[in-house]
Amino acid sequence: METSCLLVKPGRKRFKSLVVKTVFLILGRSFHAASKLDLDIKKEIETWDEGFKFMMKVFPESPSMIVEKRKGILVYRGSKGGSADLTIIFKSIESAFLVFTAQCGTCRAFAESRVIVSGDISKAMSLVRCLNILQRYLFPLFINRFILKRPPSMPWYKQFIRAYIYLLGVPFGL
Amino acid sequence: MLPSYYEFYNPVKIISGEKALDNLPYELNRLQVTRPLIITDKGVTDAGLVKTVIRAFAESGIILGGVYDDVPSDSSVTVVNDIAGVFRRNECDGLIAVGGGSPIDTAKAVNILVSEEGDNLFQFAGHDVLRRPLKPLVVIPTTAGTGSEVTYVAVIADPSRKVKMSFTSAYLYPRLAVLDPRMTLSIPPGITAATGMDALSHAMEAVTCLQKNPISDALAMASIDLIGKNLLKVVAHGRDEEARLAMSNAACLAGAAFSNSMVGLVHSLGHAAGGVAGVPHGVAMSIFLPYVFDYNMEKTAPDLARLLLPFGGPEEYANTPPAHRARRTIELIRALRQSLYDLCQLPRTLKEAEVSRDKLEAIARTAINDGSLTFNPVEVTYDDALLLLREAYD
Ligand SMILES: [Fe+2]
Repeated sequence: METSCLLVKPGRKRFKSLVVKTVFLILGRSFHAASKLDLDIKKEIETWDEGFKFMMKVFPESPSMIVEKRKGILVYRGSKGGSADLTIIFKSIESAFLVFTAQCGTCRAFAESRVIVSGDISKAMSLVRCLNILQRYLFPLFINRFILKRPPSMPWYKQFIRAYIYLLGVPFGL
Repeated sequence: MLPSYYEFYNPVKIISGEKALDNLPYELNRLQVTRPLIITDKGVTDAGLVKTVIRAFAESGIILGGVYDDVPSDSSVTVVNDIAGVFRRNECDGLIAVGGGSPIDTAKAVNILVSEEGDNLFQFAGHDVLRRPLKPLVVIPTTAGTGSEVTYVAVIADPSRKVKMSFTSAYLYPRLAVLDPRMTLSIPPGITAATGMDALSHAMEAVTCLQKNPISDALAMASIDLIGKNLLKVVAHGRDEEARLAMSNAACLAGAAFSNSMVGLVHSLGHAAGGVAGVPHGVAMSIFLPYVFDYNMEKTAPDLARLLLPFGGPEEYANTPPAHRARRTIELIRALRQSLYDLCQLPRTLKEAEVSRDKLEAIARTAINDGSLTFNPVEVTYDDALLLLREAYD
C-alpha cells in the first residue's frame, strides 16, 4: 500500500497580522508628524542623506512600512516599494507582535536577536534614537520605563507635539 | 538566569596546542582546498612565522598559491582588491590568514570579493548582506586578543571616503582556527599586554552585556580564569609557551563568547577613540574598562560580582563579602592595569595614550553611533559619553 503524504499549507495569523499592519501605519504617520515638530528628531535626520529610505518589515516580506527623507522631513511611503537603504527586519510575526504590544521592549528585542538590521549600522543607531523619542510620544511613561533603557525626557511643551501626533498625525497623516 | 530567548552560533573548528600548525595540510584536505593563498603582514614575515607556516606544508603535496605579506596595520579597500587579484590570477581556492586583527579582517574581506565574484567591496558592506557561503578561510592568530579567528566581523577602511566599513555575516566565520604556541612567542610585552586586555574586555563585556546567554557566559568565565592566571606571566616572560597557549585559548574563548553576546560601551568608546584619535584598540580597552564598569554598575552589579571568582580566584572571592564583590572586581581591574603600566607602560588614561583633549567631543559623537551601544545594559547619550571620556582623560 502506498503511504499518502500530502503537501501542508500552514494557515494564516490574521489577527496578529492586522495588529502589526496597524502599528506600522501608526508608526509611519507619527514619524512624519514628529519629524516636522520635534527638534531632537530633526537633529538626528539632518545627518541623513536626502532621499534616504528605511523600511521595517516582518520576515519574509510583509507586513512592512517604508519611510523616506524628503525636503528635510520624513514621509511615510506606505507598505510597498521594494528596497531601502536600511531595513529593520522582525524574524517572525510573533516577535513583531510582542514588541508592538509592548510585551517586549525594543532594546530587549535587539538583545534577543528578534530584530535584525540590514545596512549601515551607524544610521541604524540614529534611527533607533528617533524611534525611542517616538515611543515616548506614543506610550505613557510607565510603559516606556518598561520598554526603554532610559526613556528620553519629555518637557511640558512636547505635550503639544504629542497632541498633534495623536489628533492630526495618526488619523489624517498630517 | 536564563534569557527569555537567545541564539548561539559558532561553526569554527579549533585546533590548539603543540605542533597544531603541522596538522593544517590535513585539515585543508578535508576542506578540499588544494591551493591556499597566505595573507599576512611584514611584521609576521620578519618574525619568521611565515617560514614556520610554510614548513608545515613540507611533504604534504599541497602547493601554496602565494604569500601576500603587504597588509598594512589598518586594512584598506585597495589592499583587499589587490589581494583578490592575486587570488584569481594564481587560481587559489582557499585563504590562510596569519596575523593579528588586520590580516584576518583583510582575508575575510578578500573572501567576500573572490566568493561573490564582485569587484566593489562597498556593495557588501553592512549587516547580513552576504547571501551565500564563502570559500574556506583558515586563521592562524599571531596575537592573543581580537578573537577574530572565531568572529563573523570584518572592518575595512576606505581611505578615499575616510570611513570604516563593517561587514557582518554568518558566512564570514572562518572554517578553522589554529592556535599554536609558536606563533605568539615573539610578541613584545606592550602588544602582549594591550591585546590581552582586549581579550579581557571581550570576556567581561560578554558577561555584562544585554545579549548574554548561558553558553557565552560559560566561555567568557573560562576565558577570564585563564587571563587572570596568565596575562601578567606572558607580559613578564614572553617565551613561556604554556602561558602563551593559555592566552591564545583565552582570546579564542572570549571571541566565541562576545560574537554571540555582543560587546557594549567599552567597545563603543574604544572604536571611536581608535577612529578619531588613533588609540590602539587594546590600549583603549584597558583605559575604558574600569570607567565603563563604574558607569554600568547600577544594572550589572550581580554579574560583576560573579566575575570576581574567575578573575580573582576562589580565595579572593571567598574573602570578599558578597556586597563588595562587584566593587572588588573593578578594583582588581585597576590593579591589573597598574601592574601592566609598571611592566611595560601600558597607558592608563587617554592623556597617557597621547590623545589631545579637544578630541573628546568628536570621540563621544562617534561613540554614540557605534552599533555595540545597543547591547550596553545602561542607556548612553552624547553627554554621558563625554562625561565618561573626561573622567578617563587624566
Ligand atoms: Fe575588542
